[in-house]
Amino acid sequence: MTECSFGITGKDFVLLASDQSAGRSIIKMKSDENKIRQLSPSLCMAYGGEPGDTENFVDFVERNLRLYQIRHNIELAPAPASAYIRRILAEAIRSRRPYVVSLLLGGYDKIKDESHLYWMDPYGTKVKVPYTANGLGIYVALSTMDKYWYPDITREEAGQLLKRCIDEVKLRLAYQFSFNAVEIDKDGVREYKLDGSA
Amino acid sequence: MSRSYDRALTVFSPDGHLFQVDYAMEAVRRGTCAVGTRGKDVVVLGVEKKSALQLQDPRTVRKVAKLDDHVCLAFAGLTADGRILIDKARVECQSHRLTVEDPVTIEYITKHIAGIQQKYTQSGGVRPFGVSTLVVGFDPNDVKPRLYQTEPSGIYSAWKATAVGRSSKTVREFLEKNYKEDQSRDDTIRLTIKSLLEVVQTGAKNIEITVMESYGKITELKNEEIEEIVKSIEAEKEAEAERKRNRTAAVAQTAAGLGRDPSLVQTGGAGGVDSGAGSTESGHQ
Amino acid sequence: MGSPMEMNGGSVIAMTGKDCVAIASDLRLGQQAVGLSADFEKVFPINNQLYVGLPGFATDTYTLREHLRFRVNMYRMKEEREITPKTFAHLLSSTLYEKRFGPYFIEPVIAGIPAPSAIDPDPKPFICNMDTIGCITTPKDFVVAGTATDKLYGVAEGLWEPDLEPEDLFETISQTLLAAVDRDCISGWGAVVHVITKDKIITRHLKGRMD
Repeated sequence: MTECSFGITGKDFVLLASDQSAGRSIIKMKSDENKIRQLSPSLCMAYGGEPGDTENFVDFVERNLRLYQIRHNIELAPAPASAYIRRILAEAIRSRRPYVVSLLLGGYDKIKDESHLYWMDPYGTKVKVPYTANGLGIYVALSTMDKYWYPDITREEAGQLLKRCIDEVKLRLAYQFSFNAVEIDKDGVREYKLDGSA
Repeated sequence: MSRSYDRALTVFSPDGHLFQVDYAMEAVRRGTCAVGTRGKDVVVLGVEKKSALQLQDPRTVRKVAKLDDHVCLAFAGLTADGRILIDKARVECQSHRLTVEDPVTIEYITKHIAGIQQKYTQSGGVRPFGVSTLVVGFDPNDVKPRLYQTEPSGIYSAWKATAVGRSSKTVREFLEKNYKEDQSRDDTIRLTIKSLLEVVQTGAKNIEITVMESYGKITELKNEEIEEIVKSIEAEKEAEAERKRNRTAAVAQTAAGLGRDPSLVQTGGAGGVDSGAGSTESGHQ
Repeated sequence: MGSPMEMNGGSVIAMTGKDCVAIASDLRLGQQAVGLSADFEKVFPINNQLYVGLPGFATDTYTLREHLRFRVNMYRMKEEREITPKTFAHLLSSTLYEKRFGPYFIEPVIAGIPAPSAIDPDPKPFICNMDTIGCITTPKDFVVAGTATDKLYGVAEGLWEPDLEPEDLFETISQTLLAAVDRDCISGWGAVVHVITKDKIITRHLKGRMD
């Protein structure tokens, strides 16, 4: 559970941030691991959980979304993609070998011009939220988000809010994280520079 | 039940044939023509399109399919069978990426498709795919264009240029005569269209051209672009015929001047008198 | 980790009135004590006269809702009529019992008004609930389910009376739910109420304490 990710939506964008540590229990083996995966042109997933399960799961999802895209010549919008991903998790949880993966799914629906953010746990619980956190972040940063988020939040303000959350994590948690982030909007997915968060 | 070997798929006939496979190849021969041509760093697929009915949406009738970022497939034969084969190939493309984190090579996916086709000639309760495919594309980290063909029997082979479907023999012979190594993009497209025009009477509106220029770069020619090339080919042919007519007339005149029987020369063609000039002419396209 | 029934929190209640029924749920979804969402409705329409509440394990809420939507749509197309509350209750019951030895962690609540038929021209409002494996109970007053079950029983016992008119029923079910979930840590964060009458549905969202 030494992981931490955040998602913040605005009217026309989504910010996804994730810690970059890889390791086991209290040992950190890597601090520049990318744990945000682009699944399709305007859909990203910040994931955590049992290492191995996560990589397998995300690869599987990515390939199936790509297959959908080639078969139907259209990208799957965030809402149906989230239903598909949830279903994989929900079916796996009652199978012989469940995926232990929790995730934040951020995407931009180009047809409806909406930003989407979903929170999912390994059981397949799915919630659509305007802003959320996963892992250790939920204990220290959700209240910060409650205070500063509002529906018309701008990109700059969302960036500042993200910084506040990361600062809070640094202040309150014993574990030291480094973060990376992406920004998703109508133009697709871009890396989002987090200054001074090495 | 004598002669049941032409019913049951997995039974050989006395002379070593699988009749159902032969019938499948007949289905391919009756399907619309598809041509594939390789150039220096380009590979072009051309297909003969049946004209859409008046009220039909022509976009829903497609004969060239993208299998992955870097692979395209055209087929001749039963469209419904083709679709199933395409879907199986698409799943394999993604599955391959999933298991080894690498895109498929063109030969790999061709082999896979041919493998599926072969399986349907040797299992019970099924019939073969009435489809021949042309698989084109670029291998990852490679610049060489690739072109493969598969058949209902499960045979696959690599080609510089080939055709499948209706009148494919005529088209292939045309390609054999006119293919040149290392052609440019435009020349390859031109050759593809020209070869298709051998069997497509209705011209540009029944031709669909897909061009692959490098890994992942796939373009479909617009109808106007094809139209333009067809026009220029026709103009060229017209000029050619005109020259030929003039030459025959000139030759006839010369022959008459020499006091020979002009009808002899006419039937013999230009080659009879001036064979050198005649061969350059036909050789120069 | 705790029991799946108490993992996400949430409660549902349904009550009968005079020619009407009401069904309501809270809006919270959490992960143990941490609240994640304040718009997670647990009551879903089946048709114009029938609603189902699915409190319990949130992943199963979603799975079961999708499954029921599929089954009810198939029923509608095959039978060319709407499913009655009683038939729906048995459909849901057998769906749950199919998973007898690995159940959905959901205690459903159903509320609806059956359409009049030749045999029964003046049908009574229908409510029922069931356990996680589909054992149906059909009381005539009210049914409750979810993490605030015990509190809901207490308050409902005190507030409910027979033959309430739609607006009075709305007031009764709302006060019952809000009072009960205030005493439950993992239910609350607002509520949604549906009052079903013969000719219309009244749906209202209630604000609640956010603690």
